[in-house]
Amino acid sequence: MSSLMECSIETIINIFHQYSTRLGHPDRLNQREFKQMARKELPNFLKKENRKPGAVEDIMEDLDTNGDKDLSFEEFAILVGRLTEASHEEMHKGHPKGKGHSHGPGFGEGQGSCQTQGGHSHSHGGHSHNH
Amino acid sequence: MLTELESALNNFIDIYHKYSQDRGNVHALYRDELKRLLEAECPQYIKKKDADTWFKELDINKDNAINFEEFLVLVIKVGVASHEDFHKE
Repeated sequence: MSSLMECSIETIINIFHQYSTRLGHPDRLNQREFKQMARKELPNFLKKENRKPGAVEDIMEDLDTNGDKDLSFEEFAILVGRLTEASHEEMHKGHPKGKGHSHGPGFGEGQGSCQTQGGHSHSHGGHSHNH
Repeated sequence: MLTELESALNNFIDIYHKYSQDRGNVHALYRDELKRLLEAECPQYIKKKDADTWFKELDINKDNAINFEEFLVLVIKVGVASHEDFHKE
């Protein structure tokens, strides 16, 4: 039985491969693959960017640190960090980070197929959880 | 409704808070809290590098706690290592 962290990382790797294997290098995302992935897999996290012409291309160029026009998993992993940070910030809009710490709904609701094992679990349903 | 990928990213927020909320600042993982997180969430990645070594490596600003941004460095490193392992199998 894998942990929530292992399951979540596995999900990310699987989705990366689902798109990276479509065209060209099987372990790299080219621009078409990245745009398809952004639209299908990140509709809430990249809502504005998916609608604004050129914005997704801009993100890709920024992530492509070696400038080879493709994204390796290592380059893509930076986006994972940035989007998780952005989602956490969104959850704290109007919800305190310090005393009385709570999370709002952030970019939206959803549980995904990886579940917490053991007793502790909480949702981000716009309500506070006490610490 | 969030997608599978978006939910996976949000899981990292839950994981962090699960261990960081026990005491002190909610956005600080102390040495023992990080150790518990590593032991429970990614046991195979403390075989080569123990919890103390991870703590020193992740505590970039050296304030003796892992903040959320520093924790994301762990997520990225474990993610990249898992991807490498995936291709070794």
